[in-house]
Order: sequence, then C-alpha cells, then structure tokens
Amino acid sequence: MSKRTDISTPEGYFDSLRSRLSEIPRKEEVRAASAPAGIRRLAPYVAFAASVAVAVVLGNFILRQTAVPAEDDGWAYISYLSQSMDPDGAALVDGDAWEDGEGYLSEDDIINYLLADGISVEHLNYVNYEEGY
Amino acid sequence: MENVESVFNGIVKEYSERVYWHVRRLVNSHEDADDLVQDIFLKIWTALPSFRGEAQLFTWVYRIATNETLNWLRREKVRAALRFTSVDAEMERRIDNDPFFDGDAADRALSKAVARLPEKQRQVFILRYYDEVPYEEMSEILGTSVGALKASYHIAQEKVRAALGKSDFLPGD
Repeated sequence: MSKRTDISTPEGYFDSLRSRLSEIPRKEEVRAASAPAGIRRLAPYVAFAASVAVAVVLGNFILRQTAVPAEDDGWAYISYLSQSMDPDGAALVDGDAWEDGEGYLSEDDIINYLLADGISVEHLNYVNYEEGY
Repeated sequence: MENVESVFNGIVKEYSERVYWHVRRLVNSHEDADDLVQDIFLKIWTALPSFRGEAQLFTWVYRIATNETLNWLRREKVRAALRFTSVDAEMERRIDNDPFFDGDAADRALSKAVARLPEKQRQVFILRYYDEVPYEEMSEILGTSVGALKASYHIAQEKVRAALGKSDFLPGD
C-alpha cells in the first residue's frame, strides 16, 4: 500500500498551479488599485450587519403578527400595530417583551435565517474567523 | 514589494506541492483542493508582510493551510447538514467518485477510515502518516504539545486499524 501514489493529479498540474499562484501578487495589485481598501475590508461586515438588522425587524414583525388572537376583529390589531410603530412607520423593538424572552431571537435563529436568506456561509464565517497567524 | 514578491514566489516554488497534497488528503477532492490552495496562497501573500520569522517558514505556511482547510471543512459540515446528509457520507462519496484516485481497494478503505476520524485526529494522522512531519513541527503548526499529538496519533491509528481489521501496515509513532 503506497502513501501518495493512490491519488494523482491531471497531467502537468503542478506547473500550472505554480504559474497561477505566481500571478497572485499581480492580480492583487490590480484589485487593490480598483477598489478603495477601506470599502473592500468593510464590505462583508456591512453586508452582515444589514442582514442582521433586516432579520431582527422581520422577525419582530412576524412575531407581533402571530401574537394577535384569532378572534380579533382586526381593529385591535391595527391599534396594536400603530402603538408599535414610530411616527415614521418603522417597527420598534418591544424592550419588555425582549427581556421576558418573548420575541427573542436566538443566535441560531438569526444564523438559520441568514443562511436561508441566501447569505453565504463564507460571510458568516468571515466575521467569526480568527486570524491565528 | 519586489522583495516580498520574490519571497512569495520562493514559497510557491518550495511549498505549493506539499500544501496541495496535505489539503487534498483532508478534502478528498482535486477540484476543492485546487480552489483551497489558491485561497491559502492568497492568504499567505496577504499575511507575508507581517511574517516576523518567529516561526519557521514551513510551519507558518502549514499553519495557514491547516486553518484555511479547517474553516472550509466546517463550512462543508454546515452545507452537508443543509442537504440533510453528513460530512462523513459526503467524504466517502468523494473518495468513491474521485477520478484521480488510483489506489486499490485497500487504499480506498484506508482513505475512508481516515476521513471518518474526528477532525483533530484526522489532521494529526495526515500530517504524521502521509506528510511525515516530525512531532516537534506538528506541535508548532497545530499549537498542541508533542505528548498530546502522540496520544492523538495513537488513538487515530487504533481507530484506523479497527476500521480496516488489520494491524500490520501502519507505522508506529
């Protein structure tokens, strides 16, 4: 039983690999010149923060909707919603409900939502990524 | 900058092949290993100006390769879960369908047994058995004591032997 000969690569693979890897400095130079560094570094964080904000607002809205009793005639719901909205129409987070655990979204819920919403695992991982070197 | 680039090209020349084989053993796919090696060398290029030389170049490169590959494997675990399958089953499927797998049935069984090892033991086993990295260097790469690495390798060996029902072909530590 051999250690390495059990797996192989396409013909001439390592020459091609070395050549592609040697292009990295040139490609990165071009990339750095085409986008401001600050924006490039912040982009994944901004995307993640925006997604979390959307998830929290949507989650809050959905939970409020499901909290309305089935026999309600609708006016109480509208009144309830209007109390929960700021003058600009944006939904507010109910602090008491949050502390009581009502309407609480766990980290897992948010991550599950973001994954389902098309946020890539790479993005989520990027934020949690530890630079260990 | 030119100096950094020449050091980088030296690393490419010296280590790209070794890094590829290491990653390939961990991910069991040529295509994924190829993508990952490019990501790893991009990381090396980005981190190279901050390399202070406290670690040996070899262990520094391997540490980056190992961290990147582990992150990839963790993402793969989530992807597998989202497909209602397990990462172990996915790895076995890769070994079975790998067009660049030239080994015999025993080689295939060994690869599958290694793929089923827990993450840390798999890393240690691959570094020791396939890459033949000395424990002292492994200790620097993985940030684990030599004693713990020897124990991990021993446990991994036992598991692989048990999976294969053999005891005469794996090297001792």
